[in-house]
Amino acid sequence: MRPVQFVLIVMLLGVLILYFSRLRSGLLDRVVVLALSLVGIAMVVAPDLTTKVANKVGVGRGVDLFFYLAIVGISFAGLVLYSKIRDLDASITQLARAIAAERAYAPPRDDRANDGNSG
Amino acid sequence: MNGDVFVVIAAFNEGRVIRSSVQPLVDLGYSVIVVDDASSDDTWGALAGLPVYRLRHPINLGQGAALQTGMDFALAKGARFIIHFDADGQHRVDDIPRLLEPLRAGEADVVLGSRFLSASDRARVPARKRVLLKAGVVVNGLLTGLWLTDAHNGMRAFTAAAAAGIDMRENRFAHASEILDQIRRRRLRCVERPTTISYTAYSMAKGQSSLNSIKIVIDLMLRRIFR
Repeated sequence: MRPVQFVLIVMLLGVLILYFSRLRSGLLDRVVVLALSLVGIAMVVAPDLTTKVANKVGVGRGVDLFFYLAIVGISFAGLVLYSKIRDLDASITQLARAIAAERAYAPPRDDRANDGNSG
Repeated sequence: MNGDVFVVIAAFNEGRVIRSSVQPLVDLGYSVIVVDDASSDDTWGALAGLPVYRLRHPINLGQGAALQTGMDFALAKGARFIIHFDADGQHRVDDIPRLLEPLRAGEADVVLGSRFLSASDRARVPARKRVLLKAGVVVNGLLTGLWLTDAHNGMRAFTAAAAAGIDMRENRFAHASEILDQIRRRRLRCVERPTTISYTAYSMAKGQSSLNSIKIVIDLMLRRIFR
């Protein structure tokens, strides 16, 4: 095994261990992450494998195929994150609005106006 | 008599001017709601003693969010009509009855202020600002399908029913275009009425920069994709 392979495998395993020990994610997420990590390790151990797959789909080098897939994957992750941030934003806004309404200062003459309306 | 007309003002660091903007509204008997968008100055304290509702966001959310907070609150307080009014003193209280007229007559659900409907108002708009606003008109028209004479005029009037249908999600300045989008979607009847803008050094300094306009367009386009 070449040194770079060793380093990459250790890094991949490290990420995997971190993921499983720190994040309490759903079962599906865990399966996907595990599968991706195994594919990653396989690619490190047998680089020729990716080139074979690449040739099958019409790409010259395995590295290129990986590069294309990585760009798509990163874009997708970015979009998912962006949409999550928007959802968070909306929740925070709702919370802040509720707090603002609850702590609202009402002028004393409000009572008179209310009496007029309800009466 | 104007008590069922609720004037909603979003204020962010307007402590220097907010009191003089609000006072004439109070004098005319309008119900006033000031939403302090987590100002770091004393916008809140500057209103002490004035008979106005004061709400304060615990964190800064932007003008659109502040207006929505104020509108929700106004509806809860039984508002019949809701007016958007800028905090920096650029709008005139005398314009409010003109905006309310079509609503009271039942001819419209929403009335938007425009500084391009009368020659004298038009002449007041600084040249650079005019180019920017007209560009905004085109962008709004293309994005929302509502072709108006003015863009990003902060003065608007709604009936309670129309206001209840407005749900602004764009917390920042893109809300101005978002409102148009919702007016169109909800098929609200919408007209424009002339409003006079006072371009003081203060309001000019606080106004939007050209760069901000580009951001607004990007915000709106992203909004198309993400609900």
